[in-house]
Amino acid sequence: MGALTPLAAASADPLDQLNLKILKLENRLQRERVARLKAEEIAEKGLSDLYEKQQQLTLLETIATAANQSSSVDETMRFALAAICQHTGWGFGNVYLPSATIADHLTPAGVWHASDPAHLEAFISLTLETSFAIGEGLPGRVYQSGKPAWISDLTADRNFPRAAVAVLSGCRAAFAFPVLVGNDVLGVLEFFHHNTVGPDEQFLGVLAQIGTQLGRVVERRRAEQKLMHDATHDPLTGLPNRLLFSDRLERAVATHLRRPDIGFAVIFIDLDRFKLVNDSLGHSAGDVLLQEIATRFSQVLVETGHKLAAGEAVTLARLGGDEFTILLEDIGRSSIAVDVAQSLQDSLRNPLFIDGQELYSSASIGVATSEAGYTCAADIMRDADLAMYRAKAEGRARVEIFNQSLHVEAKRRLTMESDLRNALKKKEFVLHYQPIVALSSREVTGFEALVRWQKSDGHIIPPSDFIPLAEETGLIVFIGSWVLEQSLKTLAAWQRDYPRATPLTMSVNVSPRQFHQTDFVEQVIDAVIASGVPPSTLRLEITESVTIQNAQHAIGILERLRQFGVRVSIDDFGTGYSSLSYLHQLPFDTLKIDRSFVSALQSRSDGGQIVQTILDLAKNLNLDVVAEGTESEEHVDILHQMGCGFAQGYFFSRPLNEAAAIELLSTTAKTAAPV
Amino acid sequence: MKGVVYNLLEEAVVEKFGADVWDDLLDDAGVAGAYTSLGNYSDEEIVALVDAAAAKLDMTSGDVLRWFGEQAMPLLKQRYPNFFAPHNSSRSFVLSVNNMIHPEVRKLYSGAKCPFFHFRETAEGNVTMGYESSRKMCDLAHGFIKGAAGIFCEEVDITHHTCMNHGADKCLMEIKWAH
Repeated sequence: MGALTPLAAASADPLDQLNLKILKLENRLQRERVARLKAEEIAEKGLSDLYEKQQQLTLLETIATAANQSSSVDETMRFALAAICQHTGWGFGNVYLPSATIADHLTPAGVWHASDPAHLEAFISLTLETSFAIGEGLPGRVYQSGKPAWISDLTADRNFPRAAVAVLSGCRAAFAFPVLVGNDVLGVLEFFHHNTVGPDEQFLGVLAQIGTQLGRVVERRRAEQKLMHDATHDPLTGLPNRLLFSDRLERAVATHLRRPDIGFAVIFIDLDRFKLVNDSLGHSAGDVLLQEIATRFSQVLVETGHKLAAGEAVTLARLGGDEFTILLEDIGRSSIAVDVAQSLQDSLRNPLFIDGQELYSSASIGVATSEAGYTCAADIMRDADLAMYRAKAEGRARVEIFNQSLHVEAKRRLTMESDLRNALKKKEFVLHYQPIVALSSREVTGFEALVRWQKSDGHIIPPSDFIPLAEETGLIVFIGSWVLEQSLKTLAAWQRDYPRATPLTMSVNVSPRQFHQTDFVEQVIDAVIASGVPPSTLRLEITESVTIQNAQHAIGILERLRQFGVRVSIDDFGTGYSSLSYLHQLPFDTLKIDRSFVSALQSRSDGGQIVQTILDLAKNLNLDVVAEGTESEEHVDILHQMGCGFAQGYFFSRPLNEAAAIELLSTTAKTAAPV
Repeated sequence: MKGVVYNLLEEAVVEKFGADVWDDLLDDAGVAGAYTSLGNYSDEEIVALVDAAAAKLDMTSGDVLRWFGEQAMPLLKQRYPNFFAPHNSSRSFVLSVNNMIHPEVRKLYSGAKCPFFHFRETAEGNVTMGYESSRKMCDLAHGFIKGAAGIFCEEVDITHHTCMNHGADKCLMEIKWAH
């Protein structure tokens, strides 16, 4: 058989030929065998890879399912750590989240998994207290790149600060991957194994996908938190809204019921004349003002916070519009609430700058404390609100503390308010007319229309009792336009029945709210045209304060009115801000001297000087002057001598009802020559 | 039984007795004999082959299985070196069979019915191994352990305390390593 060499192929011996054939067949068999083994090896490798891939997909699917079903980030992370550790057989997994306090740092989330924690104790405790800057260590690298990373052998890695302890605890290999939303890394997961392990690129791909699934949970949780925040906060100021405030207040009431020694207080704040800002400067300016004020109040509370004892808590909320509330919880003494309210008031002392305008704001503040023994949140809110209304009624820019008498007052006001609404429908308003007299001739030149509320029982309510309420509730706008139309109607009739060389005039008071109606000028023009009186015979009486908030806006309105021909009087001159520079700019025709100066003519030594000053001023500005509240011959004489042109007051006539005014006109008509 | 076991048996028989003997065994056992490691074949075929070998070599079936197990181990190491690499003794290799080797086998051959061994360390430092299988191939396991010891150049002594082939409901072997 040793002769079986290729040379034998040439042999013609049949036995050799046969042996050769056998040899060839054996070779062929061997080739087939090698091919079969290779094919089996390839198939086994394929099966093994497929199995691995299926396992990885199962892992991905398991984690994705958990991520979709859970709303807790911690719970999902914990699940993922355990699942990955179980899948890989790696002993320790840990989660990092971006630091809430230091930018570009990762801190341990306190969420980790270890199959045998006791064994890894030293490394786990070091890991749980180690933060990483971006780019630092394994987590920092993943944070920076947004991609998974693998370290086959920690001892050979130059950027692994925990290496010494890791190796002592028996950790040699590591991998980590990012929790991703888009390109944002919202967390990093890292894992450790006790032996060196080479990188598994396919598995790193699966880990990247797991990171994206985990990102969904974080993203969903964030969206939920944002929804929760939005639902409980005011979008304009970012302060808690009514919902959150009520919730906290209810909690405080419940706590107080359980433990009466734990007191609380509600401060109710309403900005004074805020509507004027919205009406005159526009809503965006009003919004900026609210934001500014929210900031100031917050600052006050931060400062107060330092003074509060431990446990005492403060919530500032915006309920809506210009209403803010504060809840003080766990307060030891109720006087703290008043101190806080006073500090809030003080914080508005300096002007606010809105759109380059200097604005002064003030607030009416009501305080109610738990000392009154509340059992429900709505009651203390109502009482703080009542106290706030009292502060408004008492002249605004002040703090009032709730007491029981406010309840009675509130009921009275409520009744009055509903009566007032009905009064318009029931036509209970009537006009009285006070004659205005020319001091040179002692002739009646016109009247001031004064509104009276005559109830169905004949009882007359004085303006001082219902005008402030009408102003506050906005009913003044309707009352005002009724007064304007009605007095013009009367004036037209009188001008027709009692014609004169200089036609009778009618002075009509305009309230601030009426003045700031956007179509105020059109209302006046329409009413004048409808009545048919010459525009110059209507005198609109406006208080100085109306023009203070936004002088430019006021000047515009006054000029349009004067262009039409209507005359404008400045009412109660000298009692308000009386800025001479304003007076100079504002297009008035007539100036009315307040009754307080007139009555001081005799009682005070300087009374005459003030009136004289006003008269000189009016003369220089070329304004007519009407003195109000003349009650005696002396007043009239002095005023006449000083150069005052007109007067009204009890000396001439008290306000008259329509019949009496007509009576007066008929009497004077007989003595005066008809035109 | 997985095809790889038939392949290993063929290799062991061919190496020791030649290819003709394997052909004879196939004929005697009345089996087709075309086995691939990827396939799965009836347990009866391995029993028939072992019985045929026992008859031909004048051995008991148990002896054939022990012989085969011992012979198969170096062949297994040749095919699957990764199973052996992490171990430095047959003791740790044997103890890893449930957790390391059989899971790998399942990766390769989905549906492989691997037996589970109940290992326990005795007070003397020996290991007892409980085995329960309808195949009743405790002798193959015996041979594998012997073969593993051979790979790590160790001496091992195996005692069958109870055996399914002798009427017990499970097998219990005690493995004693000579130090």
